[in-house]
Amino acid sequence: MHVVNPRISRRAFAAGAAALAATSSTRVLAALTSEAEKDLYAAAQKEGEVTLYTAHYAADLAERFGSAFTAKYPGVKVNVVRTTAQVAYQRLTQELKSGGPQVDLFQSTDIGHCVELKAKGLLEKYVPANATTMIPSLQNVDPDGFYHTTSIGIVGITYNSSKVQPGEVPKKWPDLLDPRWKNQVSVGHPAFSGYVGIWAYEMNRLYGWDFFEKLKANNPQIGRSIQDTLTMLRAGERSVAAGATQTALEAKLRGEPIDLVYPEDGTIIVVAPSAIPKGSKHPNAAKLLLEFFSSPEASVVSLTGQQDGIHPNTTPKGAKPFQDLKTIVSNANALVKGIPDIKEKWRDTFGI
Amino acid sequence: MSFNSKPPTASGPAHSRSTQERLTQPTGRGWDLTPLLWICCAAILVFIVVNPVARLVLSSFEVIDGTGYTVDNYLAAFGRWRHVQALLNTLVMATGVSLLAALFAVPLAWATVRTDMPGRGFVRLGVLAAFITPPYLGAVGWILLAGPNAGWLNKIWMAASGSDSGILNIFSLSGLILIMAGNLYFFIFVFTSTALELISSEMEDAANMLGANAFRTAMKITLPLVYPSIIGGVIVVFLQSIALFGVPALIAIPARYPVVTTQLWQFFESPVRAEVAAAYALPLLGITLALLGLQRRLLAGRGYTTLAGKGGERRIVRLGLWRWPMFAYAIVVMALSVLMPLVVLVQASLSRAWGRGFTWSNLTLDNYHFVLFEHVQAQTAIVNSVVYGGTAAMASLALALCIAYMVKRNVMRGAQMLAFLCMTPFVIPGLVLAVGFYAAYTTPPFSLAGTAAIVILAFTTRLLPIAYQNSAAGIASIHPEMEEAVRILGGSRATAIRRVVAPLLKRPLVGAWILVFIPACQELSTAIFLTGPKTRVMSMVMLDFSEEGRLEQLSALGGVLLVITVAIVILGFRIVGRDFMLRRA
Repeated sequence: MHVVNPRISRRAFAAGAAALAATSSTRVLAALTSEAEKDLYAAAQKEGEVTLYTAHYAADLAERFGSAFTAKYPGVKVNVVRTTAQVAYQRLTQELKSGGPQVDLFQSTDIGHCVELKAKGLLEKYVPANATTMIPSLQNVDPDGFYHTTSIGIVGITYNSSKVQPGEVPKKWPDLLDPRWKNQVSVGHPAFSGYVGIWAYEMNRLYGWDFFEKLKANNPQIGRSIQDTLTMLRAGERSVAAGATQTALEAKLRGEPIDLVYPEDGTIIVVAPSAIPKGSKHPNAAKLLLEFFSSPEASVVSLTGQQDGIHPNTTPKGAKPFQDLKTIVSNANALVKGIPDIKEKWRDTFGI
Repeated sequence: MSFNSKPPTASGPAHSRSTQERLTQPTGRGWDLTPLLWICCAAILVFIVVNPVARLVLSSFEVIDGTGYTVDNYLAAFGRWRHVQALLNTLVMATGVSLLAALFAVPLAWATVRTDMPGRGFVRLGVLAAFITPPYLGAVGWILLAGPNAGWLNKIWMAASGSDSGILNIFSLSGLILIMAGNLYFFIFVFTSTALELISSEMEDAANMLGANAFRTAMKITLPLVYPSIIGGVIVVFLQSIALFGVPALIAIPARYPVVTTQLWQFFESPVRAEVAAAYALPLLGITLALLGLQRRLLAGRGYTTLAGKGGERRIVRLGLWRWPMFAYAIVVMALSVLMPLVVLVQASLSRAWGRGFTWSNLTLDNYHFVLFEHVQAQTAIVNSVVYGGTAAMASLALALCIAYMVKRNVMRGAQMLAFLCMTPFVIPGLVLAVGFYAAYTTPPFSLAGTAAIVILAFTTRLLPIAYQNSAAGIASIHPEMEEAVRILGGSRATAIRRVVAPLLKRPLVGAWILVFIPACQELSTAIFLTGPKTRVMSMVMLDFSEEGRLEQLSALGGVLLVITVAIVILGFRIVGRDFMLRRA
């Protein structure tokens, strides 16, 4: 889900860095005038380093976040371990079993991980002061303050523009059920992809399981991850898909016949959260890092990787601004309760 | 000359008990270090196989998120028909892959080693390239070739026949088998051709004199002599195909054909149940055991030693006009396994945007420039892959060779047990094995998290089965009489190994090293769990690229991997005085 066009990102990064540098004397200083932040920074400096497991970003973007943080808070080094969400979670649970976490800030793309960890009492509560600067609908995903949105993914309708005539482009989700798309729809699998799980959950919530019975009649291509749908569109093997908008946009900007639609009935926002594990070795540095990821500066860094920010007006080039979309941000607890059932029904319906 | 009717060395003592005992006794010159060697090997195996696997076994009985022990994980793993169905599907698939791979590999091995078929060097290169191409890319290539709606082959068919639908569908069981066999048949090819290299022509000559033609001789004499190698290769392919994840992820899911690895992956999705995954994976050990038992049965009662002390000449079979049908067959196998998917790979790696197809404006070298010079992680990953892969290949081969020698020469009771331990890692899916490693060695006193050591150890463990199968086949082909000669003349076993066995094994071992090195360079499932920020390997960068939808750069990195591996392989054979891939210099 994390697309970085090397050239664009490099240029954008230079611009972003320059902007940061220009304002650093005023804005960072202003930011540091907060007493709480000064104290946190002082405590973090004593700890000297912080370890981040992240599934939010591509490896190079993740490293860029690390350097940006250390540039802002000299003396606190970030050990960035970029990996997939399952692996990050599995490593963390393994570490918790055997004598304390090695990780200080845990970033998953699967909110279920944080719900589980919280339920087991394995998370440290911390509400970043900067959280209030985020897009309002992304704030307070956990009312108890154990985990927080630090990145988002977007699921919309993607299509191969050389195979879909302008007049027949789907506008809303049920358009994918039109018989004209028989053998032409591509979707991921809810048991393999958190994105697809959330999408399927929301489709069921909006339209009932009938949506999938009708989808079955169209004989969809079922991939694993949501990214597989883009591969199918690019290959021309399928024409329309429920896909991630970021990578579709990226392909479109490269000049491929790929385009996307933000469905009228709701674009699915996938919340990717961060949390501090209980008993982490550098708790203050972890809090400071979480503050950083919640701050508008983090969204600026996100944009250098063509990735959506979580603050107002941080939409990457070519994407529709967040505030102009009808968005659906799912309730984390409802998702965790509902998705296992969705997976079972999915297997019953589609046989995989 | 060496097709003797004694009981085979492959499955028991090849010579009389008294010789046996004499061989195990220390003689005047030199000290017999066998028991010490056994202890060393056993200790290493305990460290890299038994302990991580024991952790897994233990965890398969642990209560999830609690304390105490239970069999619930096994009930969760096998109590559902879906999960059992996936297991059965996998066995069907693996059988199909093994058969097709043998059908690809054995004729090609025979033709390239024993006949005057044209283009033998080209075929060897192609077989190697098929193996080096990451299976994931091969699968993407095949989607482009035989996707039901837009596959090139289907489009050609539609244009030619006027039909409005294609005839090929890669998203099917047969598609799955074809792609996997196309990647894995290399194992059987190398096992078989290595063995064929060692057979002298005398018995073939005898058959010819008695009126058999070239093919009859091959079927009745040559191939039966290399059965142990063919079967060893087939077993490796069978087990590898069970463990592969990338291809099923791309093909089996759309084909709606659930298999073990796709099922396992789901246990790692939220809610994560690693304990159930362990319970689901461990019974696969039974399959390894069954296969090894089958191998013993199949080979029992016959002798297969092909390399004895007496000289023997090896001549090439003249095929006459049959050279061309044979060559055509080789080309078909090449086309299916490497040429056609490789065209797609190269096209993608040279494209600005792969979806735009063949146009001049779409042509670029930027992707290669990017992975070689711009992407810092790709650069370090290339170095890491080669270093870790090379080290792990050496380590696993050294260990496997010691154990194979003890087993095949029956020098020590209990060696067979070590052999089983060597084969164990094969059926434990990499991801699950990695969990065991993580549990065993990231905590004090070892604290190996994020180090190169834990990656190399895990790779060594993963590769041990291939190394073992290969070493065992190599040693089985060497008749003990040459070592006996050394011992009778008063040399120690160490001398016999150093002066007789090692030089004879040099060539097969380089082949084996390559067999271990190439998968090590591609190893993903353990790497994904065990590597830290400084120890990422190429497969991880490829996975990142694939997750990010950057197929062009992924293909370019695949191309780089291909070039590096071929270079190392060629270098390897130059060092042992051979031309590329075992051809006589």
